Amino acid sequence: MNIRVSIQSDAFSLADGYEQTLAQRTDIGALVCFTGLVRDFNETPEVTGLTLEHYPGMTERTLEDIGAQAWQRWALQAVYIVHRVGYLAPGDPIVRVLVASAHRREAFEACDFIMDFLKTQAPFWKKEHSRKGEYWVKERATDLEDAARWA
Amino acid sequence: MQLTHLNTRGEANMVDVGDKRETRREAVASGRIMMQPETLKLLSDGKLPKGDVIATARIAGIQAAKRTHELIPLCHALALSKVSVEFDIDHAGGCVNVSALCRLNGRTGVEMEALTAVSVACLTLYDMCKAVDKEMRIEAVQLESKQGGMRGDYQREPAPAMPIVTGEGSSGEVTLGERCTSPCVRVKFLAELRERVGVSDTVLDLEKVPSRDIAGLKAALSQQDRRFGVLSDQRTLCAINQVMANDTARITDEDEVAFFPPVTGG
Repeated sequence: MNIRVSIQSDAFSLADGYEQTLAQRTDIGALVCFTGLVRDFNETPEVTGLTLEHYPGMTERTLEDIGAQAWQRWALQAVYIVHRVGYLAPGDPIVRVLVASAHRREAFEACDFIMDFLKTQAPFWKKEHSRKGEYWVKERATDLEDAARWA
Repeated sequence: MQLTHLNTRGEANMVDVGDKRETRREAVASGRIMMQPETLKLLSDGKLPKGDVIATARIAGIQAAKRTHELIPLCHALALSKVSVEFDIDHAGGCVNVSALCRLNGRTGVEMEALTAVSVACLTLYDMCKAVDKEMRIEAVQLESKQGGMRGDYQREPAPAMPIVTGEGSSGEVTLGERCTSPCVRVKFLAELRERVGVSDTVLDLEKVPSRDIAGLKAALSQQDRRFGVLSDQRTLCAINQVMANDTARITDEDEVAFFPPVTGG
């Protein structure tokens, strides 16, 4: 299984993961990449930033496990998951899921699957900072419904 | 500091705001209504006899904000540009938290409108639930923040969280009971839960746990401090040695147990 996971406080570039995944390979036919960014509106209209907390150890293990589940379900060639922790400002990339496969459908579906499970299982918590003060972000029922689609 | 609603003779006086510059004003107020866990459950399940409690209380709060000048003698009638009233049902705390935001471009502040919205929303909650609970208590109605205006911005300082003393420390000293000679479990509290219980780590002697599973651990902690009651909240999640677990999961010596709220990454 070619699954890489990175939890980091440093920023990642918009090109992150492409070269490393594609290096010396000619069997990859499809590369799907999702990048999540920090919005300046969420539970309040004026979000000035957010702090991401995680559970070191369990986070890495959970993401590797989600990658492995995707590996079981679809014929994949590479999975790369990056998630940032610490303080982030609006516009900052926060998460990246990159999936390589021979064909596009499998790459699209696996990427969607990984994000749905990351959002509902990986131990990350967001605290938003806004002009109204700071508060912990509430979980969303729609995220659970999205993850339930794969059952 | 002079009270602007009194004149030099100490009589009530409506302030002339005609010469004040129009600025964007915003105020946030909050409050809560304490109630029995059974009442709270009926409320969140939508099973109270008077119908949709939260929707009704929200409309009541918004209407109240608009009519503040009719209730508070020296308040001006304001054309509010925005009123929002939010409710947070806190099962662990046994209350509904209410907050209201009012905004306008104008010459006078909107904190009275926000406070009125919270007060009337709480009163409406009381009215809607009083058939099943007479013990409800409205409390901590307060201004959280205000922006705009001559006197500048205001932001309430968060109340310092009292740490839970989990070991047998002397007064004024927090011990986390690291000593672990007999079988024990290490317990972590993460994110919002850590802030609510006021402690991040503790070690618990397995001898003091009534049953060697997660339910037993929760019971032992709740006995230690009322704030650990939040662990029995349905939303609270648990992991043993970094793998998700439920109430019946067994715990053994040297296990690491973590409690945390639903995850919100991605």
